[in-house]
Amino acid sequence: MSKRAPKGEYIETDTGNKVARKATLVGTQNIMLGGKTVIQPEVMIRGDLIRTIQASSQSASGAAPNNTAVSIGRYCFLSRGSCLRPPGRLYKGAFTYMPLRMGDHVFVGQGSVIQAAAIGNHVHIGAKVAIGEFAIIKDYVRILDGTVVPPNMVIPSFSIVAGQPARLIGEVPEGGHEAFELRSLYKTVGNNPHPAPS
Amino acid sequence: MSSKRLSILPPVSSSGPKPPVHFSSSITIADSALLTGTHQVTVLSESVIHPRARLDSSAGRLNLGRRCIVHERAHLGLVPTNGRFTEAAVTLGDYVAVEVGAVVEAGNTVVGEGSTVGVGARVGAGAVVGKHCTLTPHTEIAAGAVVPDFTIVFSNGMRRTDRRGVAVELKNKAVARQIDVLRRMIPSNPAKFV
Amino acid sequence: MAALTPYTYIQCPCADPSTLGHPSGPNAPTDTDADEDDRTFDPRAPRSNYSLYPLEYLLYCEDCHQIRCPRCIAEEIVTYYCPNCLFEVPSSNLRSEGNRCTRNCFQCPICIGPLAITSLETKPNPGLLAASDNTAAPHHGPYALTCSYCHWSSTEVGIKLDKPNNVHAQLARLQNGGATRLTGKERKERRADPSKAQDADGRRRGASRDGQDLDLETQFTNLKTFYQSQLADPESSDSGLAPLGDLGYSSPTSLSRIMHLYTGGGRQDKKAKSRVGAMREALGSGEGLQLAHLDESAAIAALQAAGHDGTASTTQLLEQPPHLGAAHPHGSARLAASLRPIPYLLRTKRSKRCPLCRHIISKPEAKIQTTRFRIRLVAGTYIPSLAIRALSLSSGNPPGPAAAAAAGGLLDPLKPAHFLLTFKNPLFDPIKVTLGAPAATPGRFASRVTVLCPAFEVDANTDVWDEALKDGGGGERDKERGGRERRRRKGEDGGGSGGGGGGGGGQNQLEVGKIWERGRNWVSIVVEVVPASLQAPVGGGQPGLLQEDEDVLEIPMFVRVEWEAEAGGDEVGAVVSRDREAKEKRELAYWCVLGLGRIRQS
Repeated sequence: MSKRAPKGEYIETDTGNKVARKATLVGTQNIMLGGKTVIQPEVMIRGDLIRTIQASSQSASGAAPNNTAVSIGRYCFLSRGSCLRPPGRLYKGAFTYMPLRMGDHVFVGQGSVIQAAAIGNHVHIGAKVAIGEFAIIKDYVRILDGTVVPPNMVIPSFSIVAGQPARLIGEVPEGGHEAFELRSLYKTVGNNPHPAPS
Repeated sequence: MSSKRLSILPPVSSSGPKPPVHFSSSITIADSALLTGTHQVTVLSESVIHPRARLDSSAGRLNLGRRCIVHERAHLGLVPTNGRFTEAAVTLGDYVAVEVGAVVEAGNTVVGEGSTVGVGARVGAGAVVGKHCTLTPHTEIAAGAVVPDFTIVFSNGMRRTDRRGVAVELKNKAVARQIDVLRRMIPSNPAKFV
Repeated sequence: MAALTPYTYIQCPCADPSTLGHPSGPNAPTDTDADEDDRTFDPRAPRSNYSLYPLEYLLYCEDCHQIRCPRCIAEEIVTYYCPNCLFEVPSSNLRSEGNRCTRNCFQCPICIGPLAITSLETKPNPGLLAASDNTAAPHHGPYALTCSYCHWSSTEVGIKLDKPNNVHAQLARLQNGGATRLTGKERKERRADPSKAQDADGRRRGASRDGQDLDLETQFTNLKTFYQSQLADPESSDSGLAPLGDLGYSSPTSLSRIMHLYTGGGRQDKKAKSRVGAMREALGSGEGLQLAHLDESAAIAALQAAGHDGTASTTQLLEQPPHLGAAHPHGSARLAASLRPIPYLLRTKRSKRCPLCRHIISKPEAKIQTTRFRIRLVAGTYIPSLAIRALSLSSGNPPGPAAAAAAGGLLDPLKPAHFLLTFKNPLFDPIKVTLGAPAATPGRFASRVTVLCPAFEVDANTDVWDEALKDGGGGERDKERGGRERRRRKGEDGGGSGGGGGGGGGQNQLEVGKIWERGRNWVSIVVEVVPASLQAPVGGGQPGLLQEDEDVLEIPMFVRVEWEAEAGGDEVGAVVSRDREAKEKRELAYWCVLGLGRIRQS
């Protein structure tokens, strides 16, 4: 048998991102990871659905400078089975995809499908959540499990939303800001994980 | 991410037999779509199959109409756990969109033309969904249920009739536009499945 | 029953009225205050439900050195904003326009999802559109509001808009079905200047037709002015109208006659007469009379035509904002066709003050886009946080009652289970924690509780670098405590920093008086519980039906935290007189409830 070290489950980049080998990232040159982000196995990110720029303005330049499809901030955590895809709509007669921007410390629960236009910092998204296209989620938002956020919805900061369609059911208390930090969670994942804090 | 890799695509484990397919020439089917099963899979003109969509014809035939869009992780033809169907086909009309993670079970299930099966929705075996229906995300249609035309199924199984009066041509034009764009974005590889 | 993740609730001192400084009322029982100290806190009492909060909901007043909860805190509003467009609404607008968004933000009346303004025009030849892609498509056509979730459209109730902006004003002029309706101002004008033929003369006309003309606001103002005029200027009894055939109740003379019969003669006569003779009821719609429509056949026919799907549910009707220009809803069918888009209710940013000393405890920034807080005194930075974890003693063998609890299962009755409580100290001084828990939980099923180490010390929340420097720096204290590898010390005495022994061994010790594990600023101890059997309530007899959550094992625990802080820190400029070394002893005590899990019902 070869003496190579066994392949870890995660690829760790130099910016600290931990991407599982079994994650499906399509079109990685259009996906921006902020650093210290964890992508668990079976996550799917569609980086190939980029914004189709008008043909007249860009003359045959293959890699346009700002062609990001999905941009993710620091210390994000994408759990198993989640799917991030850019939202698309008919704009000026043509169907086009817009970039999906995520902030820092965003936790995406298992099996969730995110098609939002923008997600702020310190957002906790539960499991099996479906976020519709062009939704805007601000900072410090908690989305409970099984929520369906309809398209074009705006969720203001410090909200707790749940239900189908999503309704405001509570506010994040002042003492709950620290619960959104994902630094400790980042350390528990990877090829040499630290033990979870008891 | 570094641009060394074009994509991280773990190898698709194609367990199961390769089904006989009948593809139209103008369809777009991604390379990493999963087609398994024994019965015939028919996909008519200009339809789009996203990567990682599963088309499972082990229980019966799969018929997709014209200009259908099957998004990733959708599962057509899932065999229900207690199914005892002899002819367990799945039929999708024209202009049907099956969103991310939706499931259409096998068992003579019909999804009428122009309908949308939302994210994570589930259409039970033998259900008949009418034309131009909308199933919002995470809804479930019980096995054998009948959803009349122009119905919207939303939170907690509530239903209401869609009276928007949206001209069907407008919607179809929008879908055609979307398919145009998708065709340019997804590298199609139908030859792999023939 | 589903298993429970362990939780901790802390009781705010506002549950005890004496601590808030409010004088107790005449019938406030003073013995309950004494009882509070003697009796253990019962988490199942209905009143305690209102005073228990998880740690993140609690705030801390630095002046009073006390915890404050959302119930006792005083809130003031900093800004109002719409949760959809995130635009600030100045408070002057609030008084005039109400507390809803007056721009373009609306909610679907069917599903409370957001409504979007879409143009209704049919697109012309698609070939033409494909060519002129870059030009903004001229949307001149009528607009409608559509819901992106349930696909409701305002065309279903007949509302079409001319412009895509200022939707609120346009909607105020439109009624369902396209007819126009009057705004509040216009209704006022109509009342002031009755150009329409109102019934100024006689009450004969106060029959069905005029009754329908009145909307709620007009009826209310008419009635109010009428009653005010009656109170201010009592009319003389019009005896001439008595024989006209009225029932007799509205005629003031007959009323006075009846009253005369009952009250008899005497001084009271004049007063009663003058009082009673003055008032009469409204006689027409000009005075506010609105007859009920007793014939509901139109409503029934409408309901039959609409069917169940065409009616509006109770929740949908409750969400509708009140409209004062509508006629009284009595006898009308509640149809879905009468539902209108709902403007968003405004949300607020609030600042919180201590109810006693008026010190500001929490103050957000006034700008809506910033999420920072100017002041944010939360309890989490002042009181130790408590984390509970089930502990399985035998690490090797899976079966065991504690292992089941560790896996999130139910607790077996009458079998001892162990839980690990971790206290984390947020202060920069070392604290002494004293715990007190009753030996048996209150309630119908008394489980036995033993806290293995009720008194211990937790070190200060120093930085990791401080600790490292201290350890590496040498000194006799460090020799006792050991180096970096002794950071986690197990099985130590509760006395903490003094005793140095027992570092390596004692991993699975469950001795009374010893802590389980110690870290930089945290300590874990073990609590042993023997859940009660749900078949044997206290006092004997049959348990009968279990109340809600009666099978949850909850332990009330009294926590007392003592620490020494710098003295005189509150006063500026008084440092010189104080001795630097003098430290003030501070303590904080509160009840808390630990929810450990559900007991299995065998």
